[in-house]
Amino acid sequence: MTLPAISVQNLVKRFGTSTVLEAINLTIPAGQVSCLIGPSGSGKSTLLRCLAFLEEASEGMITVNGEALGFFENSRGERERLPLAQIRRVRSQIGMVFQQFNLWPHMTALGNVAEALKTVHKAPKAEAEERALAQLTKVGLANRAGHYPSQLSGGQQQRVAIARALALQPKIMLFDEPTSALDPELTGEVLNVMRDLATEGMTMVVVSHEIGFAATVAQQISFLDQGRILFAGAPGHVFAKPRHPRLEQFLDTYLDRGASMLV
Amino acid sequence: MMFDPNVILRHMPEIMSGTAVTLALWITGMLLGVILGFIIATLRRYGSPLLDVPLGLIVEVLRGTPFLIQIFLVYYGGPFIGISLDPIPCGLLGLSIYAAAYYSEIFRAGYQAVPHGHFEAAECLGLSRLQIIRRILLPEMALIVLPPSVNLAVILLKESAVLSIITVPELTTTVSAIGSQEYAFLEAIFLLALIYWFIVEAAARLGRAAEARLSTYRFAAP
Amino acid sequence: MTFKLFNLLVQASVWTIGISAISIVIGFILALGLSAALLSARKLYRRPAEFFISFFRGVPLLVQLLLIYNLLPFIGLNVPSIVAAIVGMSLCTAAYQAENLRGGFESVPKGFIEAADMAGLSPRQIFMRIKAPIALRLTFPALVNEAIMILKSSSLVSVVGIVEITRMAQDLASSTYMPIEIFSSAAIIYLAICWIVAMTGKYVERSLPGAVK
Repeated sequence: MTLPAISVQNLVKRFGTSTVLEAINLTIPAGQVSCLIGPSGSGKSTLLRCLAFLEEASEGMITVNGEALGFFENSRGERERLPLAQIRRVRSQIGMVFQQFNLWPHMTALGNVAEALKTVHKAPKAEAEERALAQLTKVGLANRAGHYPSQLSGGQQQRVAIARALALQPKIMLFDEPTSALDPELTGEVLNVMRDLATEGMTMVVVSHEIGFAATVAQQISFLDQGRILFAGAPGHVFAKPRHPRLEQFLDTYLDRGASMLV
Repeated sequence: MMFDPNVILRHMPEIMSGTAVTLALWITGMLLGVILGFIIATLRRYGSPLLDVPLGLIVEVLRGTPFLIQIFLVYYGGPFIGISLDPIPCGLLGLSIYAAAYYSEIFRAGYQAVPHGHFEAAECLGLSRLQIIRRILLPEMALIVLPPSVNLAVILLKESAVLSIITVPELTTTVSAIGSQEYAFLEAIFLLALIYWFIVEAAARLGRAAEARLSTYRFAAP
Repeated sequence: MTFKLFNLLVQASVWTIGISAISIVIGFILALGLSAALLSARKLYRRPAEFFISFFRGVPLLVQLLLIYNLLPFIGLNVPSIVAAIVGMSLCTAAYQAENLRGGFESVPKGFIEAADMAGLSPRQIFMRIKAPIALRLTFPALVNEAIMILKSSSLVSVVGIVEITRMAQDLASSTYMPIEIFSSAAIIYLAICWIVAMTGKYVERSLPGAVK
C-alpha cells in the first residue's frame, strides 16, 4: 500500500457557533483525480481550503505525504500547532487554483507565473522567466505572456493561474470550482488543461459542479451534503442506480451541464 | 499667556450669535443648494440637450475653482454690474451656488445608479416623466445620494468659515475678533477649532444615523 | 485687463502649485504612517491616529492655518509664514489621504493575498509585492482628487500673507478697480491647473501596468 497524498482524519470546522464540516475522513490517493461534489453550502470548498491550510480546521488532523499539515498530535495526545516554517514547507507541495483566478492585476501573465520563482525560490530573473514561459507554453498561452490579466479572457486567466501553481512544481493540485466563474463556452479550455494534467499523473483534488468532468476524469468522487461526506467511491459506483435521494436531487439541478450520459 | 475661562463666559452672547449665523448660513445654503442642484441634474438628464452642455460647463467651473475666488467675484465684482450685496446675502448666495454645483453631481450619479429598466417599466404603465421622477426615481435614489450628501454637508460647513474673509459675522469672524480684542488670539482660535470640531462630529453622527435609519427600508437599487 | 496683469497672476501660480505639491508629498508620507496606525490591531496606535484624523477633518482649513500660524511662534518656532502654510496644508491633506489609503488597503481582494500565500511568499513579500502596489493603484484616483482639492484650498494661504494666485488677484483687484476681470482670470488659471492635474492623473492611471483600459 503506497502512502496517500493527503489523509484527513476526523476533521471538524466551525465558524463561530455554526459547524460547516463534521467528522470528515478522506483519503486522497497519489496520482489520481479526486472530485468533491455537492450542493452549494455543503462545505466542499471549505474542506478544500482546509487542505490548503487557508482555513484552519477546528479539530482533526491532515497529513500531506505522511507529514502533518498545520497541527500534529503531541506525545500527550493533544492537538498542537506546528511552527510556521514547517507549515510553509509542507504547504509548498500543494498548488491551488481559485474560482476567481486571483491573478495579480499589476503583473503580466509571465510576471504572475515567475513571481514566486523569483521571490521565494530566488531563481535569477532570466531563469525564472524561462521556466515561467515553459509553463505558459504548456497551458497554450505562450503568445499571451506579455498580456495583463485585464487583457485576457476568463478562460485564459484561469489557465495562467494553473501555470502559476504548476511553476512551483507541486505534488498535489487543488482546484476550487475552477470553471464556476467562466462563461459556458470558456469552460472547455480549462477542463482540457486539467484533463492533460490528470493524464500526466498529477494528484488532483477538484471541487466542481462539472459532473461530466467528474464522471469521466475522476477516479474517486466524494459527495458532500450539509458538512458531511455522505458517500465516496469510483464514479461508476457513485452514479450507479439506484442513487441516494440527495444525490438524485443534486444531479437534477446540475445535470444539464453536459453530463447526459448519467441520466 | 494663561487661558481664562471667564473670557469665554463674558463673550458667550457673541459666540452664540456667531454660531447661530454659521448654522443658519450653512443650513439655508445647503437647502438652496440641494434644490438648485436637483433642478440642474434633472434638467441635464431629462431637459433639452441644449441645456446639458452649458449647465455642465457651469458646474465644472464651479467645481474647478476655489470657493474664495467665487466669493470675491460676487462680493467685489458684483457692484460693478449693479449687484451690491451685504456680506450675509452675498455669502448665502455664494454658498448656495457652490453647493448646487456639487449637489447636482451627486444627483446626477444618483440618476445614473437607478437602472433604466425601472424608468421604462414606469413609462410603459403610463406614468408621466414628473410622476416617474417623483414616485420611482427619487425614492430609489435616496439611499444612494445620502452618504455623499452628508459628506458634502460637512464640507460646506467647513467652507462657510471662508465667509469670514468678506466679514460675514459668523463663527470664525466673531471668535477671532474676540481673540484680538482680548489679546488672546491663539486661545480664541483653539476654541474656534473645538467648536467646529464639535459641530462637524455632531453633523456626521446625525448623518450616519439617518443612513442607518433609511437603509432599514431596503429599497435601494440593486 | 492687460496681458501684464494676467502674467502677474500666472507668475503667482508658481506659489500655488509649489505649496500644493510640497503639501501633497509631505501629506502622503505622513498618511502612510497614519494609515498603518489605523490598520493596526493595537488600540495604542489606532486611537491617536483616529483622533488626529477626526480633528483635521473636522476643523476648517482656514481655522487650522490660523491656529498653526499663531501656534508655531508661541512654541518658540519663529518660522516664515510659508512654512506655517505648508505645515497646515500637509497636516490637513495627511488626514484625508490616510483615510484613502486605509480604504485602499482594506479593499485589496482577499483572493490576491491567498494566492500569494499559496505561492509561498512571506508576509513581507506579500505586502511589498502584492498588497501595497494593488492598494496604491486602487487609491490613485482618490489621490488625484485630493491634489485638486488641495490646489483649490491653497487659496486660503492668502490669509497668512503668501502672494499666490488668490492674494495676487486680491491685490491687483484693489489697485486696478477691475475685480471682475482679475478674479475671472484667476478662476481660469485655477481651472487650467486643475484640468491639467486631472488629465495627467487619468493618463497615469491608464498607463499603470495592468490597468483596465
